Amino acid sequence: MYAPIRDRIRAGKPVLLDGALGTELVRRGVRWRKHGLLTDTAAVQQLHAEYIAAGADVIRTNTFQLNPRVYLNVFRNREHMRHIGAPGLEDLVPRLLRTAVELARKARAKAGREKDVAIAGVLSPLEHCFRPDLAPAEDIARREHEELARVFADAGVDFLLLESMNTIREARAALAAGRISGLRVWVSFVLGPEGELLSREPLDTAVAEVKRGGAEAVLVNCAPPPDVTRAIRRLAGSSLPIGGFAQSGRFSPPSWKFDFFPQFIEADAWSPERYAAEAKLWRTSGAAILGGCCGTTPAHIAALRAALADGGKGAPA
Amino acid sequence: MIPTQTYAAIAERLGRSEIVVLDGAIGTEILRRNVTWADHQLTSRPAFVRGIHEDYIRAGADVISTNSFQLCRRALFNHFRDEAHRRHIGAPDLDTRADLLLAASVKLAVEARTLVGAARPVAVAAAVTTLEWCFRPDLAPSGEQARQEYREVFQVVADSGADLVLLETVNSIGEARVALEVATELGLPCWISFVPDEHGRLFTGETMQQAAQELEPRGVGAILLNCAPPNDITAGMKELAPHAHVPTGAYAHIGRFDPPEWLFTDEYPPPAYQSAAAEWKQMGGRILGGCCGTTPEHIAALAALR
Repeated sequence: MYAPIRDRIRAGKPVLLDGALGTELVRRGVRWRKHGLLTDTAAVQQLHAEYIAAGADVIRTNTFQLNPRVYLNVFRNREHMRHIGAPGLEDLVPRLLRTAVELARKARAKAGREKDVAIAGVLSPLEHCFRPDLAPAEDIARREHEELARVFADAGVDFLLLESMNTIREARAALAAGRISGLRVWVSFVLGPEGELLSREPLDTAVAEVKRGGAEAVLVNCAPPPDVTRAIRRLAGSSLPIGGFAQSGRFSPPSWKFDFFPQFIEADAWSPERYAAEAKLWRTSGAAILGGCCGTTPAHIAALRAALADGGKGAPA
Repeated sequence: MIPTQTYAAIAERLGRSEIVVLDGAIGTEILRRNVTWADHQLTSRPAFVRGIHEDYIRAGADVISTNSFQLCRRALFNHFRDEAHRRHIGAPDLDTRADLLLAASVKLAVEARTLVGAARPVAVAAAVTTLEWCFRPDLAPSGEQARQEYREVFQVVADSGADLVLLETVNSIGEARVALEVATELGLPCWISFVPDEHGRLFTGETMQQAAQELEPRGVGAILLNCAPPNDITAGMKELAPHAHVPTGAYAHIGRFDPPEWLFTDEYPPPAYQSAAAEWKQMGGRILGGCCGTTPEHIAALAALR
């Protein structure tokens, strides 16, 4: 189910991504553990359904920063994990990934949108998305991403979205892993405050590298809306379709140190209308793919759909 | 500062070789009572946290520890690339949040003590953990960096009225030594608790004998073992007790670590946990308490060992 998305891009129509999953689930009161994929599956599926209803052409799996390292890193080593960890931790991640894909598929099927809404399997940096200094070596990253990509391929995602990638090296590794698993791949980079990649590598080098690696599109995300606007302007004229999705609010990490806890404060700094107005600038600068990152909600995606006003197929009745 | 009267009373009891009961888990107890632990709940649900301290005092704890596991600036800052990135997208209060929460954690324990008004002395131990992840000695910061960060943390808890620091779940002698030196400079009594592995050694491979030799001349008030299953704590006590000249103690976890939460099991109900602790007492342990998974009922069972 990738052809309709590719056709929209080729026809010069915008492709609308969904908005945040993690921050929105936490805002709705989900107690964040295992991404809610063991305890709150109904809430996850409901949120997917709301994004489809809001007009998203692509919904993303609730798998950001979900890989075996997340759990392994809080133990001394694998042996220690077996010794004091809960049973089943070692092969938990593939199970969670399959559940995440299943929930997206169920939401899509229930909406009767199997023919025009695509499911993107989300892969992200193996270590903390904001810590490029921790990114593993390329061969190791390639091997670990390949294990995850194969699970996504088997579970039936329509393509992969590498989200919040913070180094060119790991993006290249994950891209190769996705391609070898037979999936099309979009690559999205997290922006640093300087306007380049978070690793300070130049944006244009990143684009050239992922194009060489066979990416279908290149995006920027996980930064405030004006940063995305600035980056999209710089990416305009790239030889790949470009896109972006920005955060609304400020990251407020937990006082207890886990790799990723999706909690944003001041998320109302960007109302759906204000967010949509900013995102419209991305469109006029040539963005083909637009959506929302941390802090955004189905209302943001609905406002974005309305602002783009292209009579897209995803418009709610 | 000079040691508080409360600390002096606890030290005196240990000097007479009496049992001192430490409290049980705070973090997992918060989870067991169906509240998330993402933010320690110190400012969002203060009465709830204080209530757990009260329950532990009523159960018989002579020393209660603050709800501050792994709470330090570094824990918050680690989520960003660097200062520029943190200022750009992070919550505006991140520079001061850890200190405020630490102070709040001590204040709640002190308040609980006042509210219960137990007839016996009850000391408030500021629970301070390794600066980086407790099970990962490979991540520990360098000595100078660690010294500076411990100084900041210890100053806050000393100013807030803690009777002592309980440096817990420590994974290397090096980090313990640095922290102890800082506490000693500030005149803050310091107990140090190590995580033992199945062979009773530190995660670095260092021995308990080495730990005692390094820490005793530097003024450690007690050496304990925690954050491992009861059998591993027993293995650690075998290694530690024969070599220690200061009071020793132990508090094991029960159940299993299920990140980011805890899996409660029925392997060690209070009577079974009491039997394990009785063994540590027999080996020489005088400070007995509970780590992750234990409850006020477990502490009540330990109080019967006095």
